[in-house]
Amino acid sequence: MNGGAVRVFAVCGGAATPALAALAGLRGHAEGTAVRCLRVGALAAVVQDVPAAQFTADALRTHLSDRATLERYARAHHEVVAAVAAAGPAVPVPLTTLYADEARARAAIARESARFLTVLDRVRGRAEWGVKVFAVGPAPGPDGTPGTPPRSGRAYLDRLRDRQRGREAHRDAVRAAVDRIDATLRATSAAARRLRTHGTDLTGEAQPQVLNAAYLVDADRCDELTRAVAALRADPEFGTLVRIETTGPWAPYSFADETDETDEAEDADRGGVDDDDA
Amino acid sequence: MSGALEPLTACEPIDPCPPRAANLADILERVLDKGIVIAGDIKINLLDIELLTIRLRLFISSVDTAKKAGIDWWESEPALSSRAARDALAEENARLRERLTALEDRSREREEDR
Repeated sequence: MNGGAVRVFAVCGGAATPALAALAGLRGHAEGTAVRCLRVGALAAVVQDVPAAQFTADALRTHLSDRATLERYARAHHEVVAAVAAAGPAVPVPLTTLYADEARARAAIARESARFLTVLDRVRGRAEWGVKVFAVGPAPGPDGTPGTPPRSGRAYLDRLRDRQRGREAHRDAVRAAVDRIDATLRATSAAARRLRTHGTDLTGEAQPQVLNAAYLVDADRCDELTRAVAALRADPEFGTLVRIETTGPWAPYSFADETDETDEAEDADRGGVDDDDA
Repeated sequence: MSGALEPLTACEPIDPCPPRAANLADILERVLDKGIVIAGDIKINLLDIELLTIRLRLFISSVDTAKKAGIDWWESEPALSSRAARDALAEENARLRERLTALEDRSREREEDR
């Protein structure tokens, strides 16, 4: 037991245990022992024993506040979750899920077993795909040629007004494009979520992110999704407006909460890209 | 269907722009606050992490998740919660009323003493 705390990565169906033999090669967190499987009734949790001293709330807070360590932890956690999900249906749990010992971990998972089984059913044979859309180019505005100053105050105001109109029209066009992209991709998916968009300070990209969505897609429909994205990219109507980026397949991180059907983004965007979502 | 997700690996990126490797923001967004939240033994408030590392924007939803997991100290931290701010006002109000009553009592006593 290593006198350690127990870190949980993901939970699968108990029948998946043999497939999880593939976990043997996973490092997990560098500080811990080998990643292993913990049977809990009809479930199998993928866990790792970690030294308790390094994983107290205080120690973790310090570590996670350090960007490099946060990244190391996040990637280590993600690597295990991804490997488990590639081997079979799996429900990820958040990075900070830690127990004082195995018995406590077992009890907590057993208590939630109904939820795990429901979500396992929902994600079976499916994977999450991430789709992010960025608005490209500056909003077109009749800027006039630089160097020709407006002839009068009125001309100047007209120019400002036109520019404002141009911006609004561009914004509306981008919103319409986002809605069409989302609707198209939802049609190929079993479920969809709009996540909060990332600011340019976070993405490090000049172009603003206008859609950050996750789609839960049947394994045999994933090339349908890929084709739909390719068709949207090829559409000349969109080319000048947006850039579409995809990531995946992901473990079904964004579809693990069976109770919360609402989109994160809904309350987040004020001017709302969403009209009434049927 | 067997449990395995094998067909996924057979999914060819026929796309001119294949899926990009996940960046840190994508990963953090998922590993910090997605997945099934089960109450853990070790409570960490993600807000601390977020304040020191990455912008609030990404982690607003982590706060919701943390709340679900019972990590909610900031609810009573005036700087961080409007509810707490209201509570603080109510508390101050009550304290002032108390002082006022005490002062009134004292001045009444003085008057009676005269």
